[in-house]
Amino acid sequence: MKYLLPVCAGLMLASTSTFAKDKLTISVYSFAQDAYKEALYDPFEEICDCDLVIETGNSVERMAKIEANAAKPVIDMAVISSHDALALARKGLLQTLDTSKLSSFNDLYEAAKNPLGDNTAVGYTFYASSIVYRSDLVDIKSWADLLKPEVAGRVSLPNITGTQGPLTLHMLNQALGHKGIDFTKTIDAVAENADNIVTFYSRSSELAQLMQQEEVIAAPLGRFAWSRFSGSDLPFKWAEPAEGQTGGMNVMLMTKGNGNEELAYKFMDYWLSTEVQTRIAMAKIDSPANMKVEVPADVADSLTYGAELINSLNMISPADIIDNRDAWVEQWNNKVIK
Amino acid sequence: MFQNRTEGLALVLPAAVFIAVLFLFPVGILLSEGFKVGGEWSLAGYADFVSKPLNRTVFFRTLKLGFLVAFVSAIIGYATAFCIVNLEPAQRGRVFGLIILPLMISPVARTYAWIVILGRTGIVNKAIVGMGLSDSPIRFLFTETAVFIGLLQLFMPLMIVSLISAMENLPKDAIPAARVLGASWLQVFTKVILPLTREGLVLGGTLVFTGALTAYITPAILGGSKVLMLETLLYQRVNVSNDYVSAGIIATILIVMCFGANVVLRRVAKA
Amino acid sequence: MGQTWASRLIIFTTLLFLVGPFIIIIFAGLSAGSSLAFPPDGLSLKWYLAVFEVESFRQSFVLSMFLAVGGTLTALVIGVPAAYAICRYNIPGAETIKIIVAAPIIVPGIIVGLALLRYLVVPLEFTVTLALFLAHTALVLPYAVRVVSASLQNLRTDIEEAAVLLGCNRLQAFTKVILPNIRSGILAAFILGFVTSFNQVPVSLFLSGPGVRTLPIDMLAYMEITYDPSVAALSALLAFLSIGIVFIAEKTLGFSRYV
Repeated sequence: MKYLLPVCAGLMLASTSTFAKDKLTISVYSFAQDAYKEALYDPFEEICDCDLVIETGNSVERMAKIEANAAKPVIDMAVISSHDALALARKGLLQTLDTSKLSSFNDLYEAAKNPLGDNTAVGYTFYASSIVYRSDLVDIKSWADLLKPEVAGRVSLPNITGTQGPLTLHMLNQALGHKGIDFTKTIDAVAENADNIVTFYSRSSELAQLMQQEEVIAAPLGRFAWSRFSGSDLPFKWAEPAEGQTGGMNVMLMTKGNGNEELAYKFMDYWLSTEVQTRIAMAKIDSPANMKVEVPADVADSLTYGAELINSLNMISPADIIDNRDAWVEQWNNKVIK
Repeated sequence: MFQNRTEGLALVLPAAVFIAVLFLFPVGILLSEGFKVGGEWSLAGYADFVSKPLNRTVFFRTLKLGFLVAFVSAIIGYATAFCIVNLEPAQRGRVFGLIILPLMISPVARTYAWIVILGRTGIVNKAIVGMGLSDSPIRFLFTETAVFIGLLQLFMPLMIVSLISAMENLPKDAIPAARVLGASWLQVFTKVILPLTREGLVLGGTLVFTGALTAYITPAILGGSKVLMLETLLYQRVNVSNDYVSAGIIATILIVMCFGANVVLRRVAKA
Repeated sequence: MGQTWASRLIIFTTLLFLVGPFIIIIFAGLSAGSSLAFPPDGLSLKWYLAVFEVESFRQSFVLSMFLAVGGTLTALVIGVPAAYAICRYNIPGAETIKIIVAAPIIVPGIIVGLALLRYLVVPLEFTVTLALFLAHTALVLPYAVRVVSASLQNLRTDIEEAAVLLGCNRLQAFTKVILPNIRSGILAAFILGFVTSFNQVPVSLFLSGPGVRTLPIDMLAYMEITYDPSVAALSALLAFLSIGIVFIAEKTLGFSRYV
């Protein structure tokens, strides 16, 4: 008992002793943190002589957290999906960006420069989304193949609340011959098939484990997570469905009134620079939004690289997603997972 | 017994105030959110909540799994506790240690193991296919069965421990006496063991039932978004939608269920 | 003889179900491969070593230790007098007070975490660490009161009356006579509180901020990034830590009497 108190005091000191340096709190996706640390965080901390405090999670949960803390932002800078960013922008929670402070701004693809239309976000990566599948067990040629009997009981779909969910519905909708963004019939079709779907996954790591232990043999996936699969000894393949691939853009933003703008601009500028974008691309994590980035063919192959591919993606606009998401979730909850 | 009331109050007050102010007060505000819609007091949130089929399904599933886990724990618990009580003291200590061992292990670790065990290529499925019980592996993960198994493993030790301490108080010769008088084992159980261990059963049942209702990790990892329980639904409502009305409602339901189980079962034990 | 055999089988089956998964975790952590599997692909200690390389595990371990030790000690500091008052004094509203003090056991942890985040951390600008500390203290307090009460009840009341008659004041009677006699009860409460707090998940689920996470939550977050066997290895190491503490406690003071 006597020595527990000093131990406890010591622990308390240890946990509060890092106050000397400037601190930038960022909120990022949880995948590939080791690679980001090497390519982005460590070099930046060296340059700015500051500490990065990193929060990780999926886009929608981190968005909800930013909203919950709006009165007193905890996060200074965040990267999330373009539609979650739009939701925040519409609620007036984002800082308008002074793009003159981003030296690589003019090197970005046109679509990445002002994706929300009010200069509150800048695109830093594009990704394609398609279906990853076990080529030795099944063949996937269309998004509709996700509902076919050959994969019944061994297919997983992304949860509707995540980023990939609406994208999958969008492509399924087309594959089933429906037009526009009314997904009612497609959600009905998924509901009829619900027993054949192993789970509605919310994180790519979860899916990777399920596919590695052969629980799941086909599932829609964002290209940014492909490196989890391409390195496996199991024969995973990236589908090229008849309806094409879908995809999206992730953006960086600053919370309104975060009080740390200077450092946040510095970090964003560094992340968008040709040097860092190339390094991240070479690590096969994020595909570049900076046009000056050049990578060898084999690297380009595992990314979503080049104007031609990006333009071919069958995307759905952020506004369409935000305007309809609540209705989709409601239908989904009532029909699919009830 | 000391009669100085002020002195007694002064001693107990720090603990009571600490919990009332820093614990019950915030929880109380959260519960009240369920009764507000757009800042106005209203029951519309509840009406809306009940009208959604998903919420009803999740509520009944939570209730069902809670009962099932408590019931099955009781059956296995009686058998196991009975066997343990009849061991020699030295062995009994060791077995008792192994029974409470899972209680010392992080629930994250305990649940995590089931992903590997219950998977398509896991040992359970290998055994099932190997013994010819089924042609192809059975899908366990993300089913109610998986959540049930996970919860059972998590909370059964509480039942066994409660039953063991109840059985230790059984008069040594009660069971042989009943047998000599011609009672069957079933009669011994219903007429002798059950009445004399009722308090242990009720205590264990309460612990297991409320534990199963309020577990988060097990339904989150083994059930996922297809097998939501009240806890995982609450997490999702808050973290995905910032929906504090639903959160307040679910919180109220959970507390009423836990508190209700406590009160009702305590009555049963005394009756 | 047949009966003994049947009874052993029942005990064995139950133990297999309860302890088996833990054994599997130990072995899954020993895998030489890069994904979680049982039986493991080859044997290696690399994942057990890898655990110590993960910086966030080190940080969250320190936080969890601080919460478990600091929270439990604080709970004892306010819980022991409360237990003493409940057992020895005739206090007004005793039943209500007992219910208040027991409340943290009945209220589901996830609700506590959310409530503290929403009404203490956000509006009152408490830090997440402080809120976690308060929550863990409150969570452990009922156990502290209960276990200490149990050991006070086993103590004869006349010894402190004797001490008072022999000229001690009340405080001296408590520190010189009562405290030494309930020492093992206090230590048991400490260990029970430590294990409860250290493994606590639901309370800390919402109470986390950038860079502030308890170890179990950090393990969950790590699993969001990758399912490699290091989480299994860490789980096994932590289990050994808990078991070690409880084992020593059992050997020295017969801990299981208090659980």
